Amino acid sequence: MGIFIKLSWFFKQQKKRYIAGVLFLLLADLAGLIPPRVIGVLADLMNDRQLTLQLLFLWVGLLALAALVQYLSRYGWRNMIWGGAATLERELRTSLFSHFMKMDETFFQRHRTGDLMAHATNDLNAIQNVAGAGILTLFDSILTGGTTIIAMMVFVDWRLTLVALIPMPLLAVSARVLGRRLHQAFGESQAAFSRLNDKTQESISGIKVIKTFDQNQPDVADFEKIINKTVRINRKVYRIDSLFDPTTSIIIGLTYAITIAYGGWLVTTHVITLGQLISFVSYIGALVWPMFAIGRLFNVIERGNASYDRVAELLGEQSLIKERPGAIEALAGSSIDYHVAQFTYPDDQQPALTKIDFDLAAGGTLGLVGRVGAGKTTIIKLLLREFDNYDGTIMIGGKNVKDYTLEGLLSAIGYVPQDNFLFSSSVRDNIRFAAMDKSDLEVQAAAQQGAIHDDIQNFRNQYDTLVGEKGVSLSGGQKQRLAISRALITMPEILILDDALSAVDAKTEMQILENLKQERHNKTTIIASHRLSAVVNASEILVIDDGRVVERGTHEQLLALDGWYAEMWQRQQISAEMGADQDGRD
Amino acid sequence: MAETNSTDKENQTHQSAWTQSISTKDQVKIIARVMKYALPFKSYFLIALVFSAFLATINILLPRLLQYFMDHFLNKGNTAFNIILDFAALYFLGTVLKAILQFFSNYLYSMGSEKTLENVRLVLFKKLHTLGMRYFDLTPAGSIVSRVTNDTMSLMDFLAVFASVLTGLFAIITAFIAMYTTNSVSAWIVLGFLPILLLAIWYYSHYSSRVYRHMREKLSELNVKLNESIEGINIIQEFRQEKRISDEFEATNQDYLNARKAMIRTNSLLLSSLINLLYALAIVAVLTHFGLVAQNQFVEAGVIYAFTTYVSNFFNPMSDMMDSLSSLQDGVVASSRILRILDDQTYAPAQNEGAHGEIKMGKIEFRHVSFSYDGKNKILNDISFVANPGETIGIVGHTGSGKSSIINVMMRFYEFYEGQILIDDRDIKDYPMSEIRRKIGLVLQDSFMFYGDISSNIRLFNQDISDEQVYDAAKFVQADRFIEKLPGKYHARVIEGGAKFSSGERQLLSFARTVVTDPKILVLDEATASIDTETETLIQEGLHRIRQGRTTIAIAHRLSTIRDAEQIIVLDAGKIVEMGSHDELLAKHGHYYQLYQLQQGQN
Repeated sequence: MGIFIKLSWFFKQQKKRYIAGVLFLLLADLAGLIPPRVIGVLADLMNDRQLTLQLLFLWVGLLALAALVQYLSRYGWRNMIWGGAATLERELRTSLFSHFMKMDETFFQRHRTGDLMAHATNDLNAIQNVAGAGILTLFDSILTGGTTIIAMMVFVDWRLTLVALIPMPLLAVSARVLGRRLHQAFGESQAAFSRLNDKTQESISGIKVIKTFDQNQPDVADFEKIINKTVRINRKVYRIDSLFDPTTSIIIGLTYAITIAYGGWLVTTHVITLGQLISFVSYIGALVWPMFAIGRLFNVIERGNASYDRVAELLGEQSLIKERPGAIEALAGSSIDYHVAQFTYPDDQQPALTKIDFDLAAGGTLGLVGRVGAGKTTIIKLLLREFDNYDGTIMIGGKNVKDYTLEGLLSAIGYVPQDNFLFSSSVRDNIRFAAMDKSDLEVQAAAQQGAIHDDIQNFRNQYDTLVGEKGVSLSGGQKQRLAISRALITMPEILILDDALSAVDAKTEMQILENLKQERHNKTTIIASHRLSAVVNASEILVIDDGRVVERGTHEQLLALDGWYAEMWQRQQISAEMGADQDGRD
Repeated sequence: MAETNSTDKENQTHQSAWTQSISTKDQVKIIARVMKYALPFKSYFLIALVFSAFLATINILLPRLLQYFMDHFLNKGNTAFNIILDFAALYFLGTVLKAILQFFSNYLYSMGSEKTLENVRLVLFKKLHTLGMRYFDLTPAGSIVSRVTNDTMSLMDFLAVFASVLTGLFAIITAFIAMYTTNSVSAWIVLGFLPILLLAIWYYSHYSSRVYRHMREKLSELNVKLNESIEGINIIQEFRQEKRISDEFEATNQDYLNARKAMIRTNSLLLSSLINLLYALAIVAVLTHFGLVAQNQFVEAGVIYAFTTYVSNFFNPMSDMMDSLSSLQDGVVASSRILRILDDQTYAPAQNEGAHGEIKMGKIEFRHVSFSYDGKNKILNDISFVANPGETIGIVGHTGSGKSSIINVMMRFYEFYEGQILIDDRDIKDYPMSEIRRKIGLVLQDSFMFYGDISSNIRLFNQDISDEQVYDAAKFVQADRFIEKLPGKYHARVIEGGAKFSSGERQLLSFARTVVTDPKILVLDEATASIDTETETLIQEGLHRIRQGRTTIAIAHRLSTIRDAEQIIVLDAGKIVEMGSHDELLAKHGHYYQLYQLQQGQN
């Protein structure tokens, strides 16, 4: 029951809705007591040949009235209670979403997208169930159960009621037990489903290898094995699921049998009339659902409670990145002084960066090169304040980055990340992502700087073309160029390209770098790249390995050094000429 | 660009199925076709339905038993208690029988549905394996996976609709018969409500499917936005768009809430509440009729009891039926997408009928082969060359010159329509596909790794390959060096896509995979991924070893790899522009010479 207390903030907020809902429920329950009694009364009257037309219309009119009241109040409580559940789900979804928006990199490294999605869908569903089915069953079992039992005692016979109700609690018990087992079996079934999903995913992704080694038949056989296993696991689910109805039937059957025996005896001994027995049998029918619901209530509460705790825990996590009170709102300049003695990722043992120092004057270009995983991106992440827990200081325009507001700092930086994530909106809205008020002309100019304008012209709907699953599927190079245009449209004081040209061919790369040079004089640029041609003109190049600076200098100085940089330069010149073969299908 | 546009179109047809409305005629056609996959399991369904018919019968016999009891014993007074007990026991036995029937009819029907569902999955999976690479180029992997796993899932609901409709029909028919035999006039009165009910069902299914579809669309939009915002959180935060994105999300969230409330309203107005209202009104009408009859004639209480129970039996299944109708639409949409895959004609290239050749020598000849992916732009143009058994042919050329396409047609991943490829002087189409796959070993650039362990990744599914052979192959390409260092060695786990391994290690494993099958002909697509110097040396050494005694077609990025090749083909824009040995080509002072100079200059 703790979950109802945890959700009390919501019930208070929706007080009117829930009070109205419960009142409607009560009204529906009271109206529901009438038909069984009327049927019994009329049966008696007819059986005793005492039914006058007047009496008939009186009772039948009452019945019609009850039906109408029941219909209206049912409509009322359904809208109130189910609507309340839907509202709760929306509220929680909103708070989760805005919480996600506020959280830092550490949070997103700990929680994978799939997990966060699961919290925002499955957990919310379990919680809203408490505010819907939970509230309903709680009040329904109390109200319907209570009023029906009272009606049985008042209209029929209290002894019969007590005796006939003996098997009823079994309904609640069976609903609870079966519900729990079903939930367990269902968990296994879902695991089987994801195995199937993974297998399919793998076969489709690896289809070329499978074809190459003529493994189609064995792959199908393997799939069939997984299918058979899934059937075996699901068999259990269906077995338990199919037990619900029969169990209810037997328990109700027992109640009926007791009613027939004891009630029949009471009729023959003239304690109750036949009509009363008929009413009683109908009332039993009305009790089935509330009793069963009690059992389900426990399961709903249990799951809702666990889900609520998970969501609350998530919402309780705080971003480690905090703005200082009175933080500076605009960048004081675009020079960068970067001095980090050490940085270790949260939850990691090994430091990711050690002794990274560089001073970049405003308008300068810094090149960061090195193997994959050397730490280039980490250097950038600290600059973007994705992490604050490093040993050292990073200054922009002579002020510590931690002294700026996030808005002030980040809006002055244009960032093109490695994975160039695009949103499923139009090409235009993707380019002006950071500034939706930009005109078509400005969007086009940014696209030209990113050397993607010509490609866009060839799309079916040009700038209105949708990006992503529903629209055009872009090549890696197109995505990168779009991401570059997105960063350029705000004309940022500092531009950071994080391996952002890797999928772009050499000629286009040259063109983009040239555009940058033209448009961005006096503005600071950081280029991290695997391909050295991107950093040839940088004012300083740092070669990073294992989180440390191993070589540094201009392109010429590094070549003269004849170290890692010089060797890589030679190798890349060769493969640039030979090219990865894509058959122009890129 | 043509390529991108066709993908574009493909995607749109894939995605928009949700929003299309399908004509009733097509719906029936789709349902009929999908139902064929349930045929192998018809016994499950038939027995389940027979049981459910029995169940409906018991449901009317039990009230009749009580009616008899009331009218013949209770009405008489002073009935012996043991007779009363007998009736109670009989009634209880009836419910036990009912419970048994309920269990088996539910269980068998569910199992039949489950087997149908898994059968469709298997059929789909098999079909996918017959499709050509072109299909996989054009269709995003995610959408294929979702067809096999999620869309098949809605078939379950689909079959559930049939179950509820049929069970409903049984209940209605048996209830009507029971009413008719009890009191025919009243039975007709109740039946008079049926048109109203059908109208309500029709209206509900018509109206609700629209509301429901709208709600589902909003939900999927909501989840797409949520997913995208989590994945793109870095971008959102870096570009300070949290507020805008939150506002957009909030708008969708509100839309979904509104859609859901509309659905709740529709359901409250039309679903079980309405059925209940109609039921109550039917009771009013029936009781009025009995009341009027009772003015002149004797009406027994048991009759009232039995009849009102039948009326409830008559109406009860209706709300289930109506409820399930909303998922009918889901099922039709999902089925249409499943059928689209089953109807797809993008088959993998087929061999000539009765092909039975055996590759013994390993001679390869291309005769005027031209090829295009889309039927318009020629990627290969009039390619001719001969590789004698044991020789190495090197292929070089710029990006987009058509190097990979030579492999794609030779491996029969794609069909070519002009020219001829001969192996041992016999048309490649006259060999069974399995022979081609077994005798031609392809070392792929992108070495995909499967979930499992190291040795299963080397032998793949082929259980004929012994552990010894796996070790030998790994040793041969010197992959054993890093394998031996792994925890569990050959049984070290490989997770999704081989993320734990470097691209160099993956490359070596892919060599071992090829070596273990001992092919006559080798096709190499040299990887361009940057690999550390030490592994690079291992790879070069590995390549050299594998080529021994095999006819090799090698696509090279480093000229040193193919320097000793018998022939080197220089490709440009799909055409052979130069051909000859390393020395001959150098002497020509052409394309090859330039490439060589460049690489020499660097070294």
